[in-house]
Amino acid sequence: MKPLKVDQIYKQYGEKTAVNGISFEVGQGEIYGLLGANGAGKTTTMRMVLGLIYPDGGEVLYNGKPYSKELLQSLGYLPEERGLYPRIRVSDQLIYLAELRGMSKRDADSNLKRWLERFEVPEYYNKRVEELSKGNQQKIQFIASVIHNPQIVILDEAFSGLDPVNVELLKSTVKELRDNGTTMLFSTHRMEHVEELCRNITILHRSNAVVQGSLKEIKSRYPRERVILKTEGDVNGLDAIGGVTKVNRHEYGYEIHIAKEEAAGEILRLAIGQTDIQRFEVLEPTLNEIFIKTVGERHE
Amino acid sequence: MNKFWTVVGFTVRNKLRAKSFLITTLIMAIIMSIGVNLPAIISLFDKGDSGKTIQIGYVVQADDSAGTKLSEQLKSYFASQEKPGVEFIEIAKAANAQEAEKALKAAIADKKIKGYLSFGEVTPSGLPSVTYKSEKMLEGSTTLKLESALRNVRTENILKDAGVSEEQKAQLFAPVAIESVQIAATDGAGSTAGGKDASEQGMAIALVTIIILILFFAIMVTGQMIASEITSEKSSRVMEVLITSVAPLTQMFGKIFGVFIVGLSQIIVYVLVIVANASMPHNSDAFKQYNIDLSTIDPMLLVYALIYYLAGYFLYSTLYAAVGSIVSRTEDLGQAVMPITLLSMAGFYIATFSLSNPDSMLVTVGSYVPFFSPFVMMLRIGLSNPPVWQVLTSLGILFVSIYLAGWLSAKIYRTGVLMYGKRPSWKELRKAMKAYKI
Repeated sequence: MKPLKVDQIYKQYGEKTAVNGISFEVGQGEIYGLLGANGAGKTTTMRMVLGLIYPDGGEVLYNGKPYSKELLQSLGYLPEERGLYPRIRVSDQLIYLAELRGMSKRDADSNLKRWLERFEVPEYYNKRVEELSKGNQQKIQFIASVIHNPQIVILDEAFSGLDPVNVELLKSTVKELRDNGTTMLFSTHRMEHVEELCRNITILHRSNAVVQGSLKEIKSRYPRERVILKTEGDVNGLDAIGGVTKVNRHEYGYEIHIAKEEAAGEILRLAIGQTDIQRFEVLEPTLNEIFIKTVGERHE
Repeated sequence: MNKFWTVVGFTVRNKLRAKSFLITTLIMAIIMSIGVNLPAIISLFDKGDSGKTIQIGYVVQADDSAGTKLSEQLKSYFASQEKPGVEFIEIAKAANAQEAEKALKAAIADKKIKGYLSFGEVTPSGLPSVTYKSEKMLEGSTTLKLESALRNVRTENILKDAGVSEEQKAQLFAPVAIESVQIAATDGAGSTAGGKDASEQGMAIALVTIIILILFFAIMVTGQMIASEITSEKSSRVMEVLITSVAPLTQMFGKIFGVFIVGLSQIIVYVLVIVANASMPHNSDAFKQYNIDLSTIDPMLLVYALIYYLAGYFLYSTLYAAVGSIVSRTEDLGQAVMPITLLSMAGFYIATFSLSNPDSMLVTVGSYVPFFSPFVMMLRIGLSNPPVWQVLTSLGILFVSIYLAGWLSAKIYRTGVLMYGKRPSWKELRKAMKAYKI
């Protein structure tokens, strides 16, 4: 029984279809990536998973059961638009939010202290939110979404607006939660985060799921089209190989775009014949490329 | 239910802790203390003023018998008064007007007198024309006293000439006795059952005015508070987290109830301040002087006031909550709550402008209209005598309206909190309700 199963959900606002029959499953201890351009239907999908709005068709199952009010306690939500009470102390509002999700005051307090400790900011306990920097407000917001030990956490653009140090901190926290068995639904524009965190993804485009499956399998479906070559001396005649579409010279060597994978072998043979090779790699397509390709192609 | 109280507790705690709230309450309490003490303060100043006696000089002038006679009559008139405030002093004897003036001016310079009178031609009133001369500007109160003294002297003179006896004079000056008592011909919910004399009627009007005023401000202030709390939750986006933590209805009614507790405690503080001030000894004296007797207040009137406060509060607050939920930015809130504010103002003004006319058609009809009845029915109960069934009917209509307003507001609220961007029109709201399946 998967903790979260979305089955053919469908949502229409007036004439406009917001989500058109999307299905996916998220296992325990899994981070599921939900990708899509702005307005693709991510927020609507998340709102339906959160039970804020009901799907017109299809259903969302939590551990095999349909939505109920009691379920709210096992859900955690980090909204894309961050929001906390600006004038209220961190401790007051986070304990309040945890209490609303069915936690006792004592447990909430000790959890909050543990989390502040984890983010190395225990002194914020008595601070008002408006006194904190934006990045630190984000940390507090993140704590707000996980303070009640939820089973399913929905993270909408979790890392936006954070500096690289804090992104790493939050990323490692998310991985920790995953390893402790928390199920996460993760939406973002930042493809490198998805590649690092998610096992399975769905790319939404104009209300439809256009690409779906495990990251590995999706990548294997797309041909390898890039070769990185670093050599001792110059290599001549790369352009002449059949299947090579473009050759770029960078500091680190050559970046060669190829139309068919057989060309990679030709490049290697040519290079060996001319000089010593320091690096040769046939790159998988990045998710970024796949995203732009799938979404871009359908944009016309 | 648990979460409901969590919301209530959070709302109350944060409101009571807010500096702005504490300062407003303190300022209001100070203003009210001053208001209650005002009669005592006024009488304090009055005493200081009436205690002073103005000395007015006159001269026995050989060539002006009419003026001299009048001066002496005025002197004896003021001497016979209990609290004259004016004293006539003979300064000197003089042969003519110039000499008299000189002597009197010298007396003013010596601070023996404040002013003096000079007399002119005899006017049709039988007395010479009088000029009061002093160094001060606009001696209104002294002139008034002199005027009434002169009138008195004239009347005395005429009566004496006509040969009226002392007894007839006494009859002529005795005040006629007329009193108006308000009675209730039937048994009703009003407080007039035992009949009311003029001072009690005045009391009742003052009391009802105060009750309606408090009702109006309590409803307006707390209603606005609810709306702005909800809008600020929405504009700070904390709403997104809240609605995924707790059912919107629990949240909305928790907020309404929390602000209700805050508003009620504020009113209790004000009432305590008023009662504490009013029961101070110097104030009870001052009240007596102005014919204010707190023991004539009918306790039932206060019970009705409380019922109508509760009903009015919950009727308006649900609507304020609904409006607060559809507005995304605090700046837009003022405009959005305008219709509700106008509605409550209409009720308030119908009531206050009908204070002298509590039985008019407008009042009778208004006392059944749910948004007006908290104010208008209070007016009727306080100042006239509506039958009990009318009061109950009005309350019944009010309670049904509260239920309907609560139901509608809940629907709007559940939709509104999810809608961001520009304020939605009714049509958009209805569409969204349908889309969200609310």
